[in-house]
Amino acid sequence: MAEPILEVSRLVKHYPLTRGVLFRKQVGTVRAVDGVDFALGRGETLGIVGESGCGKSTVAKMLVNLERPTAGSIRYKGEDITRLSGRALKAVRRNIQMVFQDPYTSLNPRMTVGDIIGEPYDIHPEAAPRGDRRRRVQELLDVVGLDPEYVNRYPHQFSGGQRQRIGIARGLALRPEVIVADEPVSALDVSVQAQVINLMDRLQSEFDLAYVFIAHDLSIVRHISDRVGVMYLGRIVETGTDTEIYDHPTHPYTQALLSAVPVPDPRARERRERILLSGDVPSPTNVPSGCRFRTRCWKARERCAVEVPALAVPEEFRAAGGPAAHDSACHFAEEKKVVAEEHREGPA
Amino acid sequence: MLLEVRDLHVEFRTRDGVAKAVNGVDYQVDAGETLAVLGESGSGKSVTAQAVMGILDMPPGRITGGEVLFRGRDLLTLKEDERRRVRGAEMAMIFQDALSSLNPVLSVGDQLGEMFVVHRGMSKKDARARAVELMDRVRIPAARERVKQYPHQFSGGMRQRIMIAMALALEPALIIADEPTTALDVTVQAQVMELLAELRREYRMGLILITHDLGVVADVADRIAVMYAGRIVESAPVHDLYKAPAHPYTRGLLDSVPRLDLKGRDLCAIKGLPPNLANVPPGCAFHPRCPMARDVCRTDVPPLYEVSETRGSACHFWRECLHG
Repeated sequence: MAEPILEVSRLVKHYPLTRGVLFRKQVGTVRAVDGVDFALGRGETLGIVGESGCGKSTVAKMLVNLERPTAGSIRYKGEDITRLSGRALKAVRRNIQMVFQDPYTSLNPRMTVGDIIGEPYDIHPEAAPRGDRRRRVQELLDVVGLDPEYVNRYPHQFSGGQRQRIGIARGLALRPEVIVADEPVSALDVSVQAQVINLMDRLQSEFDLAYVFIAHDLSIVRHISDRVGVMYLGRIVETGTDTEIYDHPTHPYTQALLSAVPVPDPRARERRERILLSGDVPSPTNVPSGCRFRTRCWKARERCAVEVPALAVPEEFRAAGGPAAHDSACHFAEEKKVVAEEHREGPA
Repeated sequence: MLLEVRDLHVEFRTRDGVAKAVNGVDYQVDAGETLAVLGESGSGKSVTAQAVMGILDMPPGRITGGEVLFRGRDLLTLKEDERRRVRGAEMAMIFQDALSSLNPVLSVGDQLGEMFVVHRGMSKKDARARAVELMDRVRIPAARERVKQYPHQFSGGMRQRIMIAMALALEPALIIADEPTTALDVTVQAQVMELLAELRREYRMGLILITHDLGVVADVADRIAVMYAGRIVESAPVHDLYKAPAHPYTRGLLDSVPRLDLKGRDLCAIKGLPPNLANVPPGCAFHPRCPMARDVCRTDVPPLYEVSETRGSACHFWRECLHG
């Protein structure tokens, strides 16, 4: 990995579950994020995948300081930003920006596009002198593929894909080094998704951006990521390069998740072996003991209920090395190919 | 043929004028067959289904032409009470959002049982017993206890199973599933699709699966109809279509989705946006976004050309698309 720009360690976010109005008492804890570690290199993309409720969006919010962690640290260039406040925090925030999922609710309908994209300059006036802002905003519109003449229009005059471009332009305004994108294309139509993904690809090389790309769509994450972390119930259960995770998964949850993704090729029907998980994800208020995946795991044994598996390279792969030797939090990690390798000759 | 939709036209009156949501759609489904209707938002795929089911909001919607033949009988000419007997008993629908499709103040048992009370005149007690049976069949654990629970007490996947149970209740010959798994996580989606496929085989039902997901289609469909701006632009057996699309829109869709099994491929995005239905481009509606567009595409609406006995493509240059 390149020199890490962001290092997250033992990140925890718990929400108290209370009952009563006058006499509020805590009756439980929602363990939304429960010990997450990762590092992000300069100019690199880390994909975080997981199903709803796994805590991936809460991680995103903590990275941009919209939520304060319960415990753990987020180091940006070595400095723990969770302990910062006031001016120091503001300075760091400039460098870590966010792109949101829903382009319909994340843009203020009463502001013009120019004001939306230029708003970061109101908060960080040092980033652009006043007289220069309009030009900067128009440049940003151009960079994301919108007509610079659109500065005076309102969000409702744009389609979903165009709005997402506006959201991206706003994220770029302060020339950040890190962009946290939480499901940036999941609200868009298929034919428009590709446009936005390609745009994000291009901007990354143009501005040397590092992305934390959070999504539930495993195909999109593979496409855009250098490294991938798979989350389950508040923890990362497996992490590695995209090839390690997709072609050599060793954690049963990753394997089940990958095997469930429908591949747009009917020939894959016969070839694929689908691992159907039973039941649903347990509630984060009542996390299973030991390995949190054990209640749905076909390999679970006694040990899994007692001992929390650490996220590390499993012993059996450590000596041999190779692509299976990556971090996987399973006592009984085993390599299993679930994505059929495809050498598509392309449509005839 | 179980269901035959012929030249269906549906319009909506909107502030921007008349939107032609469905503009001459034809499709057929046979017993035991799965037809996937693929399209993006605004393609008319759901509106077509609503017209077939007879649940289109009228106004603002209006069916301005065509026939919906169900076992040879045109449903569009039926009176509302006759139509109601068909709906539920002979054809049923599964919606995307199970939470808002279920009644929050009735137990799931009452909602499932209602089908038998209303259509079959059963007593409440017998209906309750049938409800438990149905919940068992869609593999909801502890059905006997859970039959008394309310929709909010079930997870998303379980609620979708209840919707499926409800659709199956009267053993209809045709099920229309409108984005049945879009709101679900992938592992749950796989469970639900598997269940649906199994039940379809067991009952030899016809299934119309409405979706935007090329992956889901490849997994379960026998045939596929691709919709764009209110029309079917390509219709083909599923293997043929994925092997070699005969319409540039289909090809564009296939090239624009990232795939799990193909890394490092550039995504070829389709340029531009789907059209506003109140203002569909003249000629071929896809021409402003089409890499193959020529003069004739700007003026002449392409009919659904016969590519083979089982395939059709609404592209003037389908040969080129198929072979190029």
